[in-house]
Amino acid sequence: MRKHQSLQYILIFILAQIAWLSLLGLWIYRYFSINYPEAGSAQPHPMISERANVVALVGGLILLVAVSVGMSLLFAWLNSQLKITQLYDNFIANVTHELKSPLASIQLYLETLNERRVPRQKQEEFVRRMMMDSARLNTLINSILEIAGLEQKSAAYCFEVHTAEPLLRSLVEEGAEQFKLPPERVRIVGSAPCRCVADRDALRIVINNIIDNAVKYSTGKPDILVHFKCSYKNLVIEFRDRGVGISAKEQKRVFEKFHRVHDSNAPSVKGTGLGLYWVREIIKTHGGRVSVSSEGKNQGSVFRIELPIYNTAKKRYVNRLLKVTQRRRRETGSEEGGNGVQGQ
Amino acid sequence: MRRAPRKGETVFKGSKILLVEDEESLAVGLEYNLTREGYRVTRASDGKEALECFRSLEFDLIVLDIMLPYLNGFKVAEKIRERSPQIPILMLTARTAAKDRVKGLEIGADDYMVKPFHLRELLVRVRGMLRRKEWYRSSVGSAPSVRLGRNEIHFEEMTFRSGERMIRLTPHEAMVLKYLIDRRDKVVSRKELLENVWQIPGHVETRTVDNFILRLRKIIEPDPANPIFIKSIRSAGYMFTTGK
Repeated sequence: MRKHQSLQYILIFILAQIAWLSLLGLWIYRYFSINYPEAGSAQPHPMISERANVVALVGGLILLVAVSVGMSLLFAWLNSQLKITQLYDNFIANVTHELKSPLASIQLYLETLNERRVPRQKQEEFVRRMMMDSARLNTLINSILEIAGLEQKSAAYCFEVHTAEPLLRSLVEEGAEQFKLPPERVRIVGSAPCRCVADRDALRIVINNIIDNAVKYSTGKPDILVHFKCSYKNLVIEFRDRGVGISAKEQKRVFEKFHRVHDSNAPSVKGTGLGLYWVREIIKTHGGRVSVSSEGKNQGSVFRIELPIYNTAKKRYVNRLLKVTQRRRRETGSEEGGNGVQGQ
Repeated sequence: MRRAPRKGETVFKGSKILLVEDEESLAVGLEYNLTREGYRVTRASDGKEALECFRSLEFDLIVLDIMLPYLNGFKVAEKIRERSPQIPILMLTARTAAKDRVKGLEIGADDYMVKPFHLRELLVRVRGMLRRKEWYRSSVGSAPSVRLGRNEIHFEEMTFRSGERMIRLTPHEAMVLKYLIDRRDKVVSRKELLENVWQIPGHVETRTVDNFILRLRKIIEPDPANPIFIKSIRSAGYMFTTGK
């Protein structure tokens, strides 16, 4: 994808070069055709010089516009690349922090156990904490590695037709359990009897990331209300939390890759800036849309996911997703598609 | 040569440490180890809580993470320094960038450790910092300020006054000055400074001392290129004179 894009910009660059060189040629031609009329004729033919003038004016203008458009496109592209580089540096700093913290903790416990006589009960606690830290490391490493798979678009997914409600209900419940939230903290309302095409593991990443955000950006105990609904064409899932909210300016940017909200009121500093980017990419691949809204500071935020209902909306796109998965299954033989995108 | 008030390690038992760390797992492990060393530990898990604890209780040392919710470690350190120039701060961080290190030390952290760290090293540094603080306090008590010509160094407030101008000294700067002034007209080697003020083995990084002295001269000397107070003694070290 990225390779394709940079080729496109190389082409724009070459075309712009050709345009300005032609412009130069055209002007030189005009200069000579006016000042040095063909040898033999005593004076320039009025028709010829007239035509050369018109050609030089119109052609020159077109070429000039082409040059300036080409240059602006290149400038915009360079600018966006610079921004990505900057965000990437940020990302590296965040990932370093995220990787080193659990590692520091594991090392500390190992050295403690090695150098001190620790009572049995404490030993057990330390081991439990170390296992939690290593699980955290594993999750983080997996999620960084998986992004490459996600960016390959539909190839890595395992699409199947599901009835929406049981699938979503079980995923939300699993998510709540993973973040150790009791059922009353994650309430589910509404119903969704419609069918949709989805990759269970990918949707798990989506739901876990949204729950994770709600937990991280809640000042007190998190409180999440999940609302299912089947509209005319779309399955709609809303996650409403009571966290710190997202300012209007940030709402547009939270789904960008590596973007992180810098808010001194936010209770948490953990994160890589990838979570919501994956959410958007995964939902996009499913043919759906994700958006966020917030009433303002400390008013919580609402993440809204729309997925096309099977056989009702985006039929051709959704059927293609199913076909890609079927073809891949055939190619890999009886091997079930568990090697797709892993859950968090 | 060791500084005078060394009464054995037990002196620091019961020292009160404020541990500011938002990673619960790491915080629990550190608390356990510091408590086993005999310190009394109070834990805070974000910047705001850290400042609240600091304002309501007395501490002998602060272990401070940098990446903290609400208020980062740099800001916390700044606020703490405004109120208490002397309390030792050990910064603990996953950031490795040199500029973070420099920033931490400039704000007035006494020491800086990068995660993951070794338990033993951490404990040695904590002990060193407590010892240094104790030495500084007892030696400042006898002479809280020193006049240098028209200027004055106030060790308790950690300031340097030159007429209207006032410069805040970092704990390290104040300690090095104090150490040199206490031994005025005697040569102090780089090794000695490293071992007694920095609390690190004297065979490493003697250049640290040289750079540090350059900085000090910029603060206290009227003409840093021709020092009259802190003189270099060739192949021996430094000597403080009252500028005769």
